[in-house]
Amino acid sequence: MKRVVEGSEAVAEAVRLARVKVISAYPITPQTHIVEFLSEYCANGTMDARFLRVESEHSAMAALIGTATTGVRSFTATSGQGLALMHELLHWTSGARLPIVMAEVNRALAPGWNIWVDQTDSLAQRDTGWIQLYCEDSQEVLDTIIQAYRLGELVNLPVMVVLDAFFLSHTYEPVDIPDQELVDGYLPPWEPKFQLDPEEPCAFGSLVTPAFYMEMRQGIARAMEDALAMFPQVEDEYERIFNRRYGEIERVFCDDAEIIMVTSGTAASTSRLVVENLRARGEKVGLLKVRLFRPFPVELVRGALASAKKVAVIDRNFSFGASGIFAQEVRAALCNTLKHPPVFGYVAGIGGRDLTADVIEDIYRRAKASDFPEAESVWVGLQEG
Amino acid sequence: MAKDKKVRVAPSIVVPCSYISTESNKTGAWRFLRPRYEEKTSPCSAACPAGEDIGRIEMLATQGLFKEAWETILRENPFPGVCGRVCYHPCESVCNRGEFDEAIAIHTIERFLADTAARNDFKPVLERLPARKEKIAVIGSGPGGLAGAYFLTLLGYACDVFESTPEPGGVLRWGIPSYRLPLSALKNDLSQIESQGVLIHQGRRITSDTLENMYGIYDGILLCCGHSASRSLGIPGEDSEGVRKGLDFLRRVREGDNPVVEGLSVIIGGGNTAVDVARSVIRLGGKALIAYRRRRQDMPAFEDEVAMLLDEGVELRELVAPIKITEDDGEYILTLGSMRVAGEDTDGRTRIERDGDTTEEIRVQRVFTAIGEMAAEAWLEPPEQGSDIKILNNSVMVNRSDQPAVVFGGDLTAGVKSVVNAVASGKEAAIALDIVFRKGLDSLDEGLADCVVGEGPAHSMEIYMRGERFTRNSHIVTYEEINTDYFSFTQGITQPRLLKDERLSSFEEIDLKISASVAMRESERCFNCGLCNQCDNCYIYCPDMSVVHDNSINGHHIDFDYCKGCGICVVECPRNAMSLEEEE
Repeated sequence: MKRVVEGSEAVAEAVRLARVKVISAYPITPQTHIVEFLSEYCANGTMDARFLRVESEHSAMAALIGTATTGVRSFTATSGQGLALMHELLHWTSGARLPIVMAEVNRALAPGWNIWVDQTDSLAQRDTGWIQLYCEDSQEVLDTIIQAYRLGELVNLPVMVVLDAFFLSHTYEPVDIPDQELVDGYLPPWEPKFQLDPEEPCAFGSLVTPAFYMEMRQGIARAMEDALAMFPQVEDEYERIFNRRYGEIERVFCDDAEIIMVTSGTAASTSRLVVENLRARGEKVGLLKVRLFRPFPVELVRGALASAKKVAVIDRNFSFGASGIFAQEVRAALCNTLKHPPVFGYVAGIGGRDLTADVIEDIYRRAKASDFPEAESVWVGLQEG
Repeated sequence: MAKDKKVRVAPSIVVPCSYISTESNKTGAWRFLRPRYEEKTSPCSAACPAGEDIGRIEMLATQGLFKEAWETILRENPFPGVCGRVCYHPCESVCNRGEFDEAIAIHTIERFLADTAARNDFKPVLERLPARKEKIAVIGSGPGGLAGAYFLTLLGYACDVFESTPEPGGVLRWGIPSYRLPLSALKNDLSQIESQGVLIHQGRRITSDTLENMYGIYDGILLCCGHSASRSLGIPGEDSEGVRKGLDFLRRVREGDNPVVEGLSVIIGGGNTAVDVARSVIRLGGKALIAYRRRRQDMPAFEDEVAMLLDEGVELRELVAPIKITEDDGEYILTLGSMRVAGEDTDGRTRIERDGDTTEEIRVQRVFTAIGEMAAEAWLEPPEQGSDIKILNNSVMVNRSDQPAVVFGGDLTAGVKSVVNAVASGKEAAIALDIVFRKGLDSLDEGLADCVVGEGPAHSMEIYMRGERFTRNSHIVTYEEINTDYFSFTQGITQPRLLKDERLSSFEEIDLKISASVAMRESERCFNCGLCNQCDNCYIYCPDMSVVHDNSINGHHIDFDYCKGCGICVVECPRNAMSLEEEE
């Protein structure tokens, strides 16, 4: 059934449809609406789930590590500082191989205090062993959360579904909310491959000596590879039932494009419009939207960009002392190919600054005007003076 | 990656697990602080003249254990139905919860428990000591005398109570109006006391002569004859027919003989008797005016009663003293002289003096005197000094070689003239006699000091008889020691009462009943200061799983093989029922 819902409600609806059993979260703008919806679902019986109130995001994840170890489907949502506080336990979750799903609403980090969209919070967690998916609209958010449980439970890794602050979390859009029966068909009850068994008590997370640690870590690396390998299967099944598919990446007018812009999140949505307009004016431009960031779909990205003359990456994030993070990933993906286009890095829309069609078109023009990137990152849309 | 690429099945997952028990690591060896369960004294209990274990009473009421809660009162006070109605509840003014939101309605819950016990005809099971050979005579069946007899009975003594009037109860029967204390409530408490084996001989007036006859029969005598005589005004006209004693009037009302009080009655005095007389006059259809020498805030009457009195339409004249009363054509002219405040006495009481020569005259139909009471006869007054007397906190003991031990108790010796203080006096007298009989006079001070609640002065029979709650220590829990994180603001109950119009039309009891659910909700607000109510916080928070459930009173013990002494249990105990001390 199609309903006009807030992005936060789309998240909550997906969590409900996934028949999550435990939600533990600490409120933080702009994530708060998500947990408000969910706590209400738990209170009024819409969901047969427990909502655990905790004193911090660190505790929220710690609680879920416990619940997921007992083999129940678990969910949390956070944002910005909250995710940063959770950092230690993000490593723990993947190391413990627990398929917890989190909705992460991209928010800029303080100081200065800023509640608006910026991807640096989630990208700073790229090495924690979490699968990361970046969404463009509310429908994609809902679908991705349901897929996330399927994928995470297949490979025993946690999944972060990332959405832009306000542009997604607080914006109302028509969203198809599927029937529970259909979702049940796609996402059966979780059958954990291991779980806490009171009949055979043991302590999880004990000391692992150098003799074993490396193999354990390699297991996580291999699970990431498996996640990449299984992703199409996860989407095939989803498409069969729900008739929607997003891909690890999405190529828009890429086939004959001379300049391909690369971006993610709601910026991809604006970029579609820009690319269409430029195409109408005869510009050979394409767009590559990256949805799956971890594991990074290196081969797919290479394939999409191989024929372009230039690549212009738009990053709504920044790694200080390096460059925009998507740009780094794209450069890394391309560098081992024999012939590859130069990668122009542009940083824009930081801390909720509008990333308008004009800004994106300006980026295209800049890339078109330069033969070779004059810097690793060019900050676009700064105030004059 | 092409879609048709063969997908590997999920790899075997390696997660670190340990199946080795950690019990071999006795972490208790690391400990340098040792937690322990240590119950303490709640401020309400310490403030209760009868030393009732209020924290525990509320805890049991919360659990719906109304009989056990009632029995807990009975261990310290045989008059829950009476005190649940007429006590001035000093417990509530020190309630720690009062600093958080509102004090617990301890008084109202006490009455609820007493009424519930009566309605269900509960039979209390109380600890008693084996029978002793000594026999005790108790003179007077007011709250002091009956409390004394009741506790002496529990301590194993055969007691005979002698009451001069046809019915037991003393001031409870003849002095307190039924709108505050209905006869049925008094009778419930009396029959409970009698069911313990206290024998009351009604209509047996004891004189100083007949008292001496008792010397050969009884080993101890408890004199609790109270104030049955009124003090006189000492002014001209006092002996007129229209000038009556407040106590006599109250007694007539309670005898059911409703005196005629048409017109204006002036009541002289500012104590509870004055207030009771004025309110009774109003109920009988008369007009009442209280003339008091000092100010409202100086009145010894309970503040609550004064507030209701004014609400009911009694006029209060402050700073006026009677000068003379003259008869005038079947009515009376009362001359009042103005008074003024002239500083404070050494005991903190307001000192007053005449304010010039100003006087005023009031035409009245009658005057009631209620300026204080005294013993009916001089021999009933406790001696004030002597080598063979022992002045205790609420009683006076006389030990002469030629007579049995005699204790003066009740209103004549209690520090505060109230029912609960009379009960405290009777209890102290009973304990004092028991100590003297069992251990001799030399042990008296130590014996009494050993059973005080908190820092005293209230004594506890539970502690004296080494009952289950004997183990609580004397530390009085402060508000700062309560972990208020575990409590949320909740409004207390308001005692439901008859509306003013309903009150004025009869002697119906003013305070109404509360339901069991209201009582439980209210008692649940109690912090249970210093008392383990098995909330299990220690068990939940112990990071070493070293709090172990067992069958002891508080249901837990600590496994010191593994307790590291982190102290979390002590900090998370909401009610200071645990302590942390340095390991030796």
